[in-house]
Amino acid sequence: MQTENEIVEKLCGEFGFLQDKIYVQRQKRIFTGFLAKEEFEQVLHYAHDELGFYRASHVVGTDEGGDLGFIYLLSNEDGIILALKEKAPKSDPVINSMTDIYPSLELHERELVDLFGAVVEGLPEGPSYPLPDGWPKGNYPMRKDWDPKYFDRNTMTYNPPAGGAGKEGGSK
Amino acid sequence: MGLLQRAIEWGTRKSPWIIHFNAGACNGCDIETIDALTPRFDLERIGVLQEGSPRHADILVCTGAVTLQTRDRLKQIYDQMPEPKYVIAVGTCACTGGIFDGCYCVMGGIDTVIPVDVYIPGCAVHPEAIISAVQKLLDTIGQRKKGEDRHADRK
Amino acid sequence: MSKKFRRNRIELPIGPQHPSLKEPASFRITLEGEKVVNAVIGVGYNHRGLEKACESRNYIQDLYLIERVCGICSHTHSTAFCQGIEELAGITIPRRAAYIRVMVAELERLHSHLLWLGVAAHEIGFDTMFMYTWRDREKVLDILAEVCGNRVNYGINTIGGVRRDVDEAMLQNMSKMADALESQVKYYLDLALTETTLSARLAGVGKLSYEDALRFGVVGPVARSAGIAYDIRVTEPYAAYGDIPVDLVTDTREDVLGRTVVRIKEMLVSLNIIRFCIKNLPDGDIAVKAPLRIPAGEVISRTEAPRGENIHYIRSNGTDKPDRVRVRAPSEANWRGVKHMLEGGYLADVPITIAAIDPCYSCTDRAIVIDSGSGTEVKDWQSLRQYSISWYKKQGIDVSAVKIPERKYY
Repeated sequence: MQTENEIVEKLCGEFGFLQDKIYVQRQKRIFTGFLAKEEFEQVLHYAHDELGFYRASHVVGTDEGGDLGFIYLLSNEDGIILALKEKAPKSDPVINSMTDIYPSLELHERELVDLFGAVVEGLPEGPSYPLPDGWPKGNYPMRKDWDPKYFDRNTMTYNPPAGGAGKEGGSK
Repeated sequence: MGLLQRAIEWGTRKSPWIIHFNAGACNGCDIETIDALTPRFDLERIGVLQEGSPRHADILVCTGAVTLQTRDRLKQIYDQMPEPKYVIAVGTCACTGGIFDGCYCVMGGIDTVIPVDVYIPGCAVHPEAIISAVQKLLDTIGQRKKGEDRHADRK
Repeated sequence: MSKKFRRNRIELPIGPQHPSLKEPASFRITLEGEKVVNAVIGVGYNHRGLEKACESRNYIQDLYLIERVCGICSHTHSTAFCQGIEELAGITIPRRAAYIRVMVAELERLHSHLLWLGVAAHEIGFDTMFMYTWRDREKVLDILAEVCGNRVNYGINTIGGVRRDVDEAMLQNMSKMADALESQVKYYLDLALTETTLSARLAGVGKLSYEDALRFGVVGPVARSAGIAYDIRVTEPYAAYGDIPVDLVTDTREDVLGRTVVRIKEMLVSLNIIRFCIKNLPDGDIAVKAPLRIPAGEVISRTEAPRGENIHYIRSNGTDKPDRVRVRAPSEANWRGVKHMLEGGYLADVPITIAAIDPCYSCTDRAIVIDSGSGTEVKDWQSLRQYSISWYKKQGIDVSAVKIPERKYY
């Protein structure tokens, strides 16, 4: 049974770039900062192969301004969650699918494609998820600059005011 | 009103067959609708039978705020039902969209897609309210004048 | 969409409307004779855009939204959400509130498992048991209505504690209900374990081995029926579970019968937990004041829903509205396993295999593009269910042969 601090020590020992980017938030929670694609994949493989993080519960997509964020929630048999974060720029939001190691992530990664506009390479073939047929291309609802009040559900078109929708909150 | 018409309305009033469709609900109203068919509330004692196919049903019992994915299916099911047909919107979400009104994948209430005869508000609707709504609907069947359009106020 | 005719392959599209499951979903099953060789599952006509709506409402409004992610497991969603906000805000709820949250959570588990038992019985054609379990369920719903004010979507949680207190009369009613329900649940367990017609329908169906269960990351009774000891109430005790002894129920059968047995035994565990709470309910307040603006931070909050591990990720930015809310409900984790369970099985077992993971589509939020018009035979769920009942009758298994004696209870 490894403690959270032991896991952090092992990871920092193996990967120098994690030195200031990983911390134990509380019991059973380890968070990292946003890592580039290659660094992220190295840490994920190590966590799966060497540290016993056998279960991937989820991928949370986030909008980080100029980047898209992907937070992978991995857990081991003691129930410790490692929240491993990856980022990719919105101009080139390409990441690799982790379904070859964690098959359960298939539909969660598919969601990132529809809702955030990520490009997930290596995803198995399958229907798009979760948006309906006829959803206008290029519209990614979970990005911060997309506002539902400018979306016409009858014609399925998005008509923001000139100058963009911006980061308005409090619509409803 | 001809004899055949009267016979059909008598059959519907005495034993309406319902079909249930979830148009994007959280399942709260769905489980209360099924509850209305189980021993404590027992809709079957007033002749209500749940059917699997829209082509056999008189009443469409619909729950949920209509999502963009289900609106075409809902329309198809309504079109497949033979006349005379009636629609009951169960729950606040089915009436107006409820708490989900304004969400990007939600059209609103059932009446954005098909005409509705009875609205039952509630979150979730109590089975007794469903029985009361079915009873009210059955009372209005057979009281309409010949040629009257039930949904004239929607046009 | 091209279809290949190899030997005797046909494709069956099913759904999204089918009376037995009460929730919209699509399945595209490829058959070779009687055997399922491929299954494409599309669930998620319930995607409403809830998470985007959360970002433009404040935390109290979001509490009501989150509760309605699912009507059957609404309390665990609101508990997970409240726990997350309370952790971000750095507040601790009173012990009495924690115990009340546990009591309502276990009552919810009871009603959900009884609901599942009825639906599963209905899927195999055993409608008598469906009516019996749903009649027993009414007792639980009466208690929930008395304690929380509503039978469904209870609304008992608030940020900082609970909204309503329990009094002596409610506790006595709860105790009486627990005693009455226990004898019924023990009878259902006996039925599942000894009645040969039931085990003939359920045993060996929907097999998911221990290794596959780990690989596909399934949670809840599906995982526990494969021998994986994973229950958040034990792994990471929340609310008052740290004080309460929780027996973790596992089974080794790895099939639908195992899932049935696990759920029934969990009901007995829930009754014990409710009794413990009634006996040891501490005095005190039921809520502490919570700030309107939550300090910036991120949190991962977990609870054990009746269907399995429920995870909420919440990120706050110092205002009264969250920056990001993500709900990963347990059914989302189990769908990948279902595809594996269906393949290699018989068409007649499709309804019960899908029902056995206790799917909660509105927790899942997915959508599918189905291109119909491929010219194949279209079966709706009702006819699929009828097919499965008559197929088993030909094998000599008729569940209507099970005799259920009348029982007296309060």
